[in-house]
Parts: sequence; structure tokens; C-alpha cells
Amino acid sequence: MRRDRGRRQLALLLAPYVLGLVVLVLAPFAVTLALAFTEYDLIRPPVWTGTDNLTALADDPVFRTALVNSLLFGAVAVPLRMLVALGLALLLHRRTAAAGTARTAAVLPTAVPEIAYGLLWLWLLNPLYGPISQILRVGGENGLTAFGRTPPQWLTDPVDARAAIILMSLFTVGETFVILLAARRALPADVYELAALEDATAWDVLRRITLPLIAPVLGLLLIRDAIQSLQFSFVPALIVTDGGPPPYATTYVPLFAYRNAFEYLRYGYAAAATLLMLLLTVAAVALQWRLLRRYGRFHLR
Amino acid sequence: MTRSGLKLSGVSAAYRDTPVLHHLDLEVNQGELLVVLGPSGAGKSTLLRVVAGLQAATTGRVLIGGRDVTALRPGRRNVSMVFQSYALFPHLTALDNITFGLEVRDMPRKAARERAAAAAATVGCAHLLDRRPGQLSGGERQRVALARALVREPDLFLLDEPLSNLDLELRTETRGELKALHARLGVTTVHVTHDQTEALVLADRLAVLRDGRLEQLGTPDEIWRTPATVFVARFVGSPAMNLLPADGPLTPDGAPAARPPGHRIGFRPEAVRLGDVGTPAAVERVDVVGEDAYAYLRLAGDGPVITARVPSASRPFPGEPVRAAVRWADVHVFDGDGRRVTGA
Repeated sequence: MRRDRGRRQLALLLAPYVLGLVVLVLAPFAVTLALAFTEYDLIRPPVWTGTDNLTALADDPVFRTALVNSLLFGAVAVPLRMLVALGLALLLHRRTAAAGTARTAAVLPTAVPEIAYGLLWLWLLNPLYGPISQILRVGGENGLTAFGRTPPQWLTDPVDARAAIILMSLFTVGETFVILLAARRALPADVYELAALEDATAWDVLRRITLPLIAPVLGLLLIRDAIQSLQFSFVPALIVTDGGPPPYATTYVPLFAYRNAFEYLRYGYAAAATLLMLLLTVAAVALQWRLLRRYGRFHLR
Repeated sequence: MTRSGLKLSGVSAAYRDTPVLHHLDLEVNQGELLVVLGPSGAGKSTLLRVVAGLQAATTGRVLIGGRDVTALRPGRRNVSMVFQSYALFPHLTALDNITFGLEVRDMPRKAARERAAAAAATVGCAHLLDRRPGQLSGGERQRVALARALVREPDLFLLDEPLSNLDLELRTETRGELKALHARLGVTTVHVTHDQTEALVLADRLAVLRDGRLEQLGTPDEIWRTPATVFVARFVGSPAMNLLPADGPLTPDGAPAARPPGHRIGFRPEAVRLGDVGTPAAVERVDVVGEDAYAYLRLAGDGPVITARVPSASRPFPGEPVRAAVRWADVHVFDGDGRRVTGA
């Protein structure tokens, strides 16, 4: 009796969430999944085409470029982002007045709306009057750097543009930073005092104590960041580099899907690209989960 | 002349802006086990942290084995510390915990493992080496922490309430082992505790600390028999020593006629004799602890209450009128400032 009542209560409490999940997430997902096997242009009814979209994607050089771009972006940006967040957390975990201000500053870029953040970088990266290029030109002549080289052409050179998108992503690590800060603070102080008594160097402390102790948290954050990295390239690529410079240097899978769906009206094709992105994410998560399991065995007291 | 194991001269320390230690002078002989005893907040742990270098002294100097280490960082002082929490690395096995200090000092892994195995055998945790702290009981963790402390053969051991997280039985057992271990290794040791039994049992000498000042330094016998202050007299001994005004309701047998007002007399519960002579008293309460019983006696109608230790077989009963007597030889006299009056 009591158990039945408890279950009913639980079901009732969960209902709004489950309803939202079904209507807003699962149903669109199912529709996308189904659309991936059709041809659909919003005007005529969808036509079932089987796996045509997937084979077409495999042969599409633009999609392949987008896929490589996305993987490359994730492979470079995710570790760098983690490094930045970890560095900041270890630098700023102590309770001092200056650290408080610095912590706020570290989180601030993450709080800026994405579009505004993109527009800001459009200005920062401007090759003529953008502050970054201006700084790089300090000490040089005729618009060259002090070493006699042309400053990076952030918006027109394919390699520099990819670097610019990665650079942009390095400052929005606020959430990761806050979680790592909390993880570092939760570590017992006496363990560090013991290390001091044993004359352990800062490198020993980092390698033998801090990193192993926060490894489970780092692992989870890596997974999360890897999932998100496939998505947070979208706004910068749309606003700052517009998917270019040619040939599609900063067209990532989300932008590819967006273009196909909303500009070329190839909904089925875009859905298939999205599906592949999802599979990619699942594979990345599975891989990292295995790594995490290996390093996450011990327990904190 | 005995060599100096540890010397503090004029050491002060503060926690944030609150002074914790006040110009402390203290010397521990080479190979001696000094127990620092005091209530919470007396500055015992701060004392250890200053010696270890984990906290800076605001004044004074710290010498270990005759070497001035005041300006040296903790790792250069060659001291080992066992923390109250043991501070074991949760992600490392017992073996890796023990070899940590050797490895960060670049000892080859094989040699470090051999040393660790020897240290573990010394404290009886050789069978636990491949376990992680999470898989060890409190007593086992304590052993691993001890092994880690002694594997480096330090000049000085610092033990911060190492027994306080153990249950009573294990504490008693480990106390004995600590004492035997110290006798065998002969390393200068500073052991901090708030447990007076532990202090009396373990100490070669005992330092009683109160509010960051040294109240008395002496052998356990001296501390017990000739407490220098009322504080020491009351803090060491359980139940605490009885304290009465010198010209008060109880006159010890053989006391001199002239006893200055403002002085206080103290006597331990075991010095009180119940019988046909002495001050009339009423038994308020009796606590029986096995063979012993502690009777709480209200003196002279509505006077102060004193404690008497009596054999439980011949204990009085609550409400019973008795007479309490104390011999002058068992009495400690303290002046108005709480200091012992010698020659009384």
C-alpha cells in the first residue's frame, strides 16, 4: 500500500520533467532520426530515401572537411581548455583578496552572451585595427611584427582562422574552472602539509597528489567538454569566420547541418549529419568513460 | 651533558591576529620523549606546527639537534610528523604512502621499498602494504602513518594526538607499543595530547601548556607530586584535585596554626580518609568504578563539595553523615595567584 503510494507520488513529481523531456527533446530527436532517412525541403512532404543521405554524406567533400575540422577542433581545444581551467584553479584556489577578483575575472567571459562574445572577437581579431594585431605589430615596421613577419590573418587565412576559433574557446572555461576550484578546495590540507615536510617539489605535489586526487573530476569534465566542443564551435564559426575562409576552413559539423537545413532547405541531409555527430559524441564519451573507470577507482575519505 | 634534541627559545606564534604562543622556552634532550599536555586551545598543535615549520614563529628561534632551523622550510628540517588525521594519501597504497618521502628525495625505488618494508615491520603493518587507506581500519591507518614517519630516520618525531581517533582498547594497546617503539629507536619525540593518562604513561618529561604559556615542565612524577600551579594540579588527575580555601572548612591533620588567608589547599581524592574523626560531611553522590568508588561530600552543612576515593566495598551511601580527614603531608598549598607555595 505504502509503496504504491510512494510510487504514485514519485510519478506525479516526475511527470512535468518527463513531459518536457518527451515533447521537447525525445520527440524532436525521433523526428530528426526519422528525417535522416528522408528527403525533405519543408514544402513537399518528406520522401523516404533509406540510407541515401548517409552515403551522400560519405561522398561529400564539404561534410568530410567539416568532420575533420570538428575532430581537430575538439582534439586541440578540449585539452587546452582543460589546461587553462586547471591552471587558473590551481593558481587561484587560495583565499586572498586579489584571488577573489581574479576568480571573478576568470568566470566573466563565460557569462557574456554568445553572440556578443562573437561580435567582440570580430573586433579583437580585425587584421587592421584589432587590438591583437596591433599588439603583435609593436616594435615592427610597415605593419609587420618585431620579427619581420605578417601578423596572423585571423579572418582570411585558413590555419589562422582555425586557431582564432580555438583561441576564442579558451576564455569561456568559467564552469570548468569553478568546478576544478571546488575540487581543489575539497582536498585535505594536511596531505599538502605532509608533502611539505617531505620536501616534495611543486612538480611532485602536482603529479603525485593534486592530479591523481582530482582525476575523477577532471575525467568527468573532459567528457562534458568533449561533448560540448562539437557544439560550441557553432556561434563563433557563424559570426566571426562565417564558416570560411575558403575552402570551408571553419565549417564544423553543426554549421554544416545548419547551412543545409536552413539555407539550402535540405532537412533530411542536415538530419543525417546531426545523426553522425551524435554517434561521434557517443563514441568519444564511451572512450573517455573507459579511461575514467580506470583512474576513478579510489575513493576520497 | 646531554645533547639537545630540540630547543625553543622565546618562540611566539599567532593564528591570524590572535596570539597563540607567548615567548615559549622549552628544551628537549636528545632521545627524550616529551609529551605536551594541555586542554584544547592551549597551543599544543601550534607548537608542533612551528617546530615542523608549517607555521612561522613571530618571534624566537627553533633549534633541532643544535641546528638553527628557524628560517628553514619544513622539508629541510628533517622532522617527521604524524597528523591527528594521519594525512595518508587516499590514492596510494600503504607501501606508496610510506615510500613517498623517499621517492620525492630521489631514492631508487627498490631501495625505498626495502626501507619501507623494514619500517612497516617495525610497527606491525607489513601485511597491509598493498592496501589503500580506504581499505584500512583506524588502527591500521595509524600504523601506516607511523611507518611513513619513521622510514626516513628523522632527527625528530612530531606526533599530533596520534591516538585520539582510536577506540579506548586500541588506544591503550597502541600507547604501550608507542612507548616500546620509542625505547627501541631512541628518536627525540614530541607527542601532543590532551589525555592526561596518555601523557603520564608515555612521557620521559611532561610539558603542561595553558593559553600558550608553559605552566610546568617536569617528569610525570614531579608533575603529579609537586604540581607547580593550581591549573596543573587540577588538570592532571581524574577526578580532579580538591581545592579549598586554606582557612576553610577542612583543617588537615598536622596543619600549622597560621595559614595565610587567600591561600588555597589542594589534595587528591585518594588522600581523603573517611572515618570517626575529621570534618563532618554529608554524602551527596557516589560513583562506583569497579574496585574504586568516588564519594562526593558536602562539607559542614552547606560548605563546598570535595571528592573522596574509597574502596567500593566500604563505600558510604548517599545521605549518610561521615567525617572526612586529610593529612597535612598529602596537602599542596597554593598562593593567591595559584602558584605552589614551597616548604609548606
